[in-house]
Amino acid sequence: MVGLSLGEKHFIQGGIDQNLRSDGRKRDAYRPISIETGVIPQANGSARIRIGATEVIASVKAELGRPNALQPDKGKVAIFVDCSPVAEPMFEGRGGEELSTELSVALQRCLMGGKSGAGAGIDLSSLIVAEGKICWDLYIDGLVISSDGNLLDALGAAIKAALSNTGIPRVQVAAGASGDEQPEVDISDEEFLQFDTSGVPVIVTLTKVGRHYIVDATSEEESQMSSAVSVSISRKGHICGLSKRGSAGLDPSVISDMISVARHISEQLINKLDSEISAAEADEDEM
Amino acid sequence: MEFVNPEGLRLDGRRPMEMRQLRAQIGAVAKADGSAVFEMGNTKVIAAVYGPREVQNRSQQINDQALVRCEYSMANFSTGDRRRKPKGDRRSTEISLVIRQTMEECILTNLMPRSQIDIYVQVLQADGGTRSACINAATLALADAGIPMRDLVTSCSAGFLNSTPLLDLNYVEDSAGGPDVTVGILPKVDKVTLLQMDAKLPIDTFENVMQLAVEGCKAIANYIREVLLENTKQLEYRRGL
Repeated sequence: MVGLSLGEKHFIQGGIDQNLRSDGRKRDAYRPISIETGVIPQANGSARIRIGATEVIASVKAELGRPNALQPDKGKVAIFVDCSPVAEPMFEGRGGEELSTELSVALQRCLMGGKSGAGAGIDLSSLIVAEGKICWDLYIDGLVISSDGNLLDALGAAIKAALSNTGIPRVQVAAGASGDEQPEVDISDEEFLQFDTSGVPVIVTLTKVGRHYIVDATSEEESQMSSAVSVSISRKGHICGLSKRGSAGLDPSVISDMISVARHISEQLINKLDSEISAAEADEDEM
Repeated sequence: MEFVNPEGLRLDGRRPMEMRQLRAQIGAVAKADGSAVFEMGNTKVIAAVYGPREVQNRSQQINDQALVRCEYSMANFSTGDRRRKPKGDRRSTEISLVIRQTMEECILTNLMPRSQIDIYVQVLQADGGTRSACINAATLALADAGIPMRDLVTSCSAGFLNSTPLLDLNYVEDSAGGPDVTVGILPKVDKVTLLQMDAKLPIDTFENVMQLAVEGCKAIANYIREVLLENTKQLEYRRGL
């Protein structure tokens, strides 16, 4: 945990009041972002993202499975986050479990829509191989390697990058299987299908410190927060998910104000991420 | 299965006495006191060191030396088939213990009484030899944290397949069922601090295999020394000396 003296706390709060934070940023500015894709060779897709001193890795693995009986025309996606003790000694043993679960659930809510699978960032029906029988199960794993605040935004961006890096092998279903029989499949090792990731939303977390709110808080700033609102916003400006953390109550008018600010910021963030992702992909191709 | 073909090449194209490519990078985790990434071929681990600092659990405090702790964890995506493992299973507990004992041996714990040093290792990619890679990463991280040590412990494994001693086994060779000898040495004083083997091996072959592993350790020690030297030069340069 961050241990701060009274003077340091005043300094952080004073800086935010005057729109000049301890590291020289304005309230609505992000730290430098860098993305690398294809970092885990044994995964179908992976990405590492650094935002300042925060570093996370996301990997996507695809396995063939059976679709849920209630939704025979949709694949399944599961998101798990792990907080490595490397990032913070507090995460040792079972210490990181609570935060890991909180982050996993928040990501699932922000990126994958509701229980019905409607509103998911990627088209779940594209994961179907044979309707009602075979589908791809996507396992998305996030790992926090270095933590300096704003983990949710970083994980969201890492997953977006990993998904656009993901190639799912093309599958041929042998014809002739009828009824309840599980058809035979032939998985190609050469042809890969890419996802359309333009619909994957980004997550913008606004952290309220004192009377103002800031984006991309460091862990020192997060320790001073009264509450934080994470909004996931798609390229079209739609709100895809929302979660509020922290104990302090917020005025409803403040929340709607925060959402409109988040929407404005998300436009810049999406453009920034897209250019970083395409640069990373180009780098990877060159290697 | 043939692990060494008639031309004397292994499955991944190496010679029997060839090590996989080593790569190391110091300072991967900004908030840690010391950290390093160590790669041996496709095996990749991160180590971070926190400390020496105040003992968190007072009852564990030792009055005349530092308390060294270690935790080993594997990422969900580190292995070929994805599996979600519970934390603290027997394998990781055992490896944590091995790493802790090996590192404790070389840290000058008596210089830092009533303090605690935490070593965390995280496997990002597992392709055989994670134990060795973790020890090498931990050594670099401890050196980066500036913790006084007797020597730089390094570790390497060797095996024996198709009646040939093989250095630095990868996952396929490791799971072939042959013996796997993991050795850790203090290269300067030339002492063995870690020795583990499974399966059986005739005594005179064992000596050869172990000698090969020791040679591997020494090669890694040279590499680690170079990396540290380069890092120190960089630091010096940044300070404008």
